[in-house]
Amino acid sequence: MREVTCELCPRACVIPEGGAGDCRVRVNLGGKLRATTYGRPSAIHIDPMEKKPLYHFRPGSPVFSIATAGCNLHCLNCQNWQLSQRGGEEMETLYRADPPDLIKAAREEGCRSIAYTYSDPIVFYEYVYDSSELAHREGLANVFITAGYINRKPLRKLCRVLDAANVDLKAFDEDFYRRVSDASLRPVLDALVTLREEGVWLEVTNLLIPTLNDDLAMIRRMVRWLRDELGEGTPLHFSRFQPQYRMRNLPPTPAEALDRARREALDGGLKYVYIGNIPGHEGGSTYCPTDGTRLIGRTGFWITENRLTADGRCPTCNEEIPGVWE
Amino acid sequence: MRNDTHRDGTEREWRRTGRRRFLGLLSGLGAAGLALPFPSVARGPRERDLKEADFYRPHDLAG
Repeated sequence: MREVTCELCPRACVIPEGGAGDCRVRVNLGGKLRATTYGRPSAIHIDPMEKKPLYHFRPGSPVFSIATAGCNLHCLNCQNWQLSQRGGEEMETLYRADPPDLIKAAREEGCRSIAYTYSDPIVFYEYVYDSSELAHREGLANVFITAGYINRKPLRKLCRVLDAANVDLKAFDEDFYRRVSDASLRPVLDALVTLREEGVWLEVTNLLIPTLNDDLAMIRRMVRWLRDELGEGTPLHFSRFQPQYRMRNLPPTPAEALDRARREALDGGLKYVYIGNIPGHEGGSTYCPTDGTRLIGRTGFWITENRLTADGRCPTCNEEIPGVWE
Repeated sequence: MRNDTHRDGTEREWRRTGRRRFLGLLSGLGAAGLALPFPSVARGPRERDLKEADFYRPHDLAG
């Protein structure tokens, strides 16, 4: 039996010949590990950058977004489970698109960025890497939307070709990761630090689930860690939970819980804290941390106002707002 | 127009030679056909090899 050990993510799956890793899409064929969804995306969309969510990276621009089947996490509340919790052979749609095809399509659709998103792009790592490398050569940016459950070595290599990332930090609690996502927190924190060290533009999302990860003391610990390890200018998005997949027993997050979390994070020293999945909420806009001027107004994923100067400053007090504003 | 009244040994010999040549040609074509690669199924769409993954190693530890 020619077993192999996958070293891409912390699961370190030992895969027998003919078997697949926990992600379902990395398969041992004849003693060689094969990335079965390379060049075979199952979702291709053009989204606004705000949907990722990335609020400080090319605001308002369309981003060519792709995903393949599979995921290395198994969150009970997954909102893309039809894609993430299946293998490629189970997909209703399977496109053929090698990296040059992707870049060509993105250009034709007027997108200056490509997002690897929806499921966790870690599991189609090689496809992301090759596409990103080519995208850079063609002047396109790459954004990586992930839960960050990846080993350091492959992530460092990938950072060479990434421009921005949003990491879904699911909770600041090992027990939550174990029970809800069948994973662990530590590698995710390591990934956040690596992305910061490598200079990839970084934003963090925390989906607030009633009773499971909305404890203010835990949020306070998370905010302190983010401020100290990643910096006070790191945007944090508190996102509203909607019951789905295997977690239909809990209600949507009340707006008040999101407000409380946002207030806690602002008080804890983070400068850009957002509320997501509540269209029209004031927490969806960007404010100057010095004088409170509304800099970018948003309703849902749409920008209603952009008062940032061309070099990314507050027009009132000249405060520099971190981000990629080109 | 053939003149059957002049059929003799020379003509029979000519016919045998012609038949031998024809059969030789047929068997030559057959042999050549067998020597060619089997005409393949490869004419239709063909699935590419799956991409080999990065970051893995043989699992050769005991246990």
